[in-house]
Amino acid sequence: MPLALQALLPFIALLGAAAVVRPRPRRQGNGWIAVGATAIAGTIALVELLRLSPGEHVDVPYLTTFPYADLAIRLDGLSLAFASITLITAAALMLVRQRTRGDRRDPWAGWLLTSAATCAMILADNLLLVYIALQLLTLAWSGALDEASPRRRGLRLAVQVADLGLLLAAASAIQSVGTSAYSGVPSDTFGLATFVLVLLPVVVRIGALTVLWGGPKATVAFEPAIAWLAPAGYLLLRLLALMGGQLPDRTTAVVLFSFGVIGALVLAGMAVSERAVPRVAGLLLAAQAGLALALSTGDQALMTVASTWLWLVLVPLAGLAGVRPRDGSAPEALTLLSLAMVPGSLAFVGLWLGGLALNARGLLFAMIPVGLVVVASIIAAVGHVTVRRPRDLDVAAAWAGALVLVAAFPIVAIGTVVIPAAATVRLVPRGMISVSPFGLVTGFGSWPALAVSVVFAIVLALAGWRLQGRLPLRPRGSGSGRAYPSLLPERLRLPGLPTWSHLVLWGAFAAVVGVVAVRP
Amino acid sequence: MILYLPAALFAVSLMAAYGTVGRQRQAATMGAVLAAGWSLALLVDPGLTAWALGPVVATLLLPRRGARARSSFEGLTRRVITIAGALLVALFLASRLPVGENPVLLSAVPWVLGALGAAWFISPIDQPERLQGQVLMVAAIAAILLAAVPAGTLSAALAGAMALMPIAGEQWRVPGRLRPALSALLLLLAATAALLAAFVSVNVVLSLFDIALNVSSAMLLGAAILLVAGAAATPIGIEWAAALGVLTLAAAAPGLRWAALAGLVAVVTTLDPRGERLAWLAAGALAMTAVLPPLAAPSWSARVQVVTLAAGLVLMLFAARAATLRVLVLPTTALAVILALGPVNAAGLVRFQWIAAVGAILIVARAALTWFLPDRSGREVLRDGLIAGLLLLAISARDALGLGELAAVLLLIDAAIVRIDDIPSPSSRWSRLVVLARSNWPGSVTFAAATITVIAALQAGLALGLLAAMLVAALQLAPLVDRHAAAPAAQRPRSALQWVGPALSIGCGIAPALVLRMLQLAR
Repeated sequence: MPLALQALLPFIALLGAAAVVRPRPRRQGNGWIAVGATAIAGTIALVELLRLSPGEHVDVPYLTTFPYADLAIRLDGLSLAFASITLITAAALMLVRQRTRGDRRDPWAGWLLTSAATCAMILADNLLLVYIALQLLTLAWSGALDEASPRRRGLRLAVQVADLGLLLAAASAIQSVGTSAYSGVPSDTFGLATFVLVLLPVVVRIGALTVLWGGPKATVAFEPAIAWLAPAGYLLLRLLALMGGQLPDRTTAVVLFSFGVIGALVLAGMAVSERAVPRVAGLLLAAQAGLALALSTGDQALMTVASTWLWLVLVPLAGLAGVRPRDGSAPEALTLLSLAMVPGSLAFVGLWLGGLALNARGLLFAMIPVGLVVVASIIAAVGHVTVRRPRDLDVAAAWAGALVLVAAFPIVAIGTVVIPAAATVRLVPRGMISVSPFGLVTGFGSWPALAVSVVFAIVLALAGWRLQGRLPLRPRGSGSGRAYPSLLPERLRLPGLPTWSHLVLWGAFAAVVGVVAVRP
Repeated sequence: MILYLPAALFAVSLMAAYGTVGRQRQAATMGAVLAAGWSLALLVDPGLTAWALGPVVATLLLPRRGARARSSFEGLTRRVITIAGALLVALFLASRLPVGENPVLLSAVPWVLGALGAAWFISPIDQPERLQGQVLMVAAIAAILLAAVPAGTLSAALAGAMALMPIAGEQWRVPGRLRPALSALLLLLAATAALLAAFVSVNVVLSLFDIALNVSSAMLLGAAILLVAGAAATPIGIEWAAALGVLTLAAAAPGLRWAALAGLVAVVTTLDPRGERLAWLAAGALAMTAVLPPLAAPSWSARVQVVTLAAGLVLMLFAARAATLRVLVLPTTALAVILALGPVNAAGLVRFQWIAAVGAILIVARAALTWFLPDRSGREVLRDGLIAGLLLLAISARDALGLGELAAVLLLIDAAIVRIDDIPSPSSRWSRLVVLARSNWPGSVTFAAATITVIAALQAGLALGLLAAMLVAALQLAPLVDRHAAAPAAQRPRSALQWVGPALSIGCGIAPALVLRMLQLAR
């Protein structure tokens, strides 16, 4: 099969399924069509990733309809890793929704289009096309064709405005080197200012996690994992890859590390005081994303692997957190514990690897605030977790269990997904990380994943058995959580201006014209 | 001695026109026109007297009432002050821009003819006098330009014939049975022009006796836009006015070019006078850009020319908030400025960019200011102001990649053709397509234009790029402020060509590279 067609297969699956389900709303099989198509798309991406040689990248151009935004697909470790993880997470979310009874909404076409837009954004070959794809993604998840629609208006506008940072970065690249395509941009093209501009859409999407959970609940929240975290993580890592895997200077790295860690600490602290479980999950997810951002500042290969691991695992974790839990269910407990970054969780693997990298540079003390974040997250999670004997094994429980197993056996993901993605960001020497069913071994230390997972599983099980009657330790809240006081007045009144005000503007314009005309 | 006779004839005619009514006044007005024609013959060439045919015929077509109109002290005072002020300005400009070594009084006759027209336009006693004022203004623009940049006899006659346009705008309407055929013909011509521009590199000068027409890929693209606007968006019956816009772009002689623009302004403002004074001011400023190089001192001519070009564009953008001006005059002016900006050097371009940037801020601030005024009925559509601001930045970018021109063309399509009709309620697939076409989402011409404007502006400079980004950010927020859609074109309800705007928007939004190809072929 020609490569040009292979690269389009995920889109064909997703868009074809959307075209099938859209004209036939509320039909019984729509959910299964959506699940199947998305799973196929994710599998295709994974197969392409497995077929890719180490360090290989393929650019598949199609046509140019938009100047400097050639329709072209980039197949490399980073894009395929994110595409496969994101699409598989999307398929899992759709499966959970399909198996849930009681929700009569018909989200399939919208979810398929959102998945397709995210896939387009991840597989795009140049920054301008990424910007266009992000706008399409915003249209897809918001469904607000009429821009004055009140549907998630504030969030939508914040994202659209923040994405202009990416547009400016792309324009800067076009001005410097005549293109914004990944293959055509030298690593010294982007400086600090451009990096900060691209950080805007990343930070806004992470911030969206803290406000997304609230109000009437859908059984499954699709956007956090697919429309927020996946694009944010991918965008940051892609920019780092374009910059040669490291930031412009050490000062920037230190500042960004501090920003990420302090932000994570604040969010974890907010989670401690939060009552509503959905908001706790959102805050903890954002805190984890902050730590991933902090670890992305490192200039060592092991730090890059650690940050890539964190960003990649955040996607399925956010997906699991987006499943509306039954109070006291096993998925909820496992989700909270995973979000708490306890030893034996997915995130802790990344933090441990990051700690090893910092220790190798004599900067282990930098992990102290990271440890504080973990402690605060544990307090927040443990305060809300409760456990009841599971009645049946549902998709969410299986999903949560799968994530725990991956944490216990990182061999499943490290060599197949994480290292190819990290190697795109910066060079990862062969053999730097060796994996076995029992854990990871690096040149700076090891991580006995299986042993740690078993030990902590026993500890948590004993704790749960002892505290069963007293859980949750804090009374639960419902609804949207703590409401913060608004700084805006209840009724916004526009100040009045006299009718001659426009003459002031005209006078200023006339003055400028006069000065420009007179200046030699 | 003979050199002062035209001025004397004009002075007598002026006094007679103000002091008499009916046929006598009509004769006096014709005397003023003949005085200007006589001055042209003495200043340049007797063949240029052919210019006078048009304004004389136009004056004959304008009936005058026999009885003197009742006037008040305030009205009389206003008229006296207006004519005195206009004459002073005209004499000042004539003294600064003399034609060769001729006496100022001889060079000033076309200028004072324009002053008379302006005075009658600003403070008319009745509608015919206002119309007569427009006739004289159009004629004067042609005369001044012919004196500065001489042309052939036929060109002069055609330029003078533009003085008939105010009357044509009042009275000439395409008969109902011919409108569908005319609309179809305009669309066919537009398609032909666009195809030629896209696939053939054209840069020729067509000559009909002494009338020279520049035909290039850029001109063909502009003509296509104007013809589509004429067919699909102009008020019913004046589709023919698009030809004036095409003539403005194509004419090689400045006298014909800017006279055609003035004629176009006169035609479209007969239906909706909103913004007409600013539009006339802008047309006059743009016409001055052709007068300055041959007549002004070289030390300041180039500088003031660029400033006048920019200021004229800003004024026209501000004036073209009403639908009728927006549909034809705005794209004509913008495209003419783009063509005129080609030979400007780097220093001049910086001046242009300064004024364009400040003008963009002015237009947006002005639109936003209306929301803070006590009079709610005067609230303007913020989005239109933002589009105008982006257009200024796009035109001023003039980057090596051609993206500025591309963005300008796309914005003109958006402003003149797409955002004219009412938005239907989003209940059907067609209405959703229209909503998409008029939105800021990818696939719409606005999105493509705004994105490319930011890229082009950043090529020109960091400040321009950041300003463009801020305007695009405000564009995202504008739909919240603007609760009403763009006003529909006057007298064009439920047109059968409603599909043209959305189709153009989606087409240009998805494939702007094709438009870029047309512009690059023009280079």
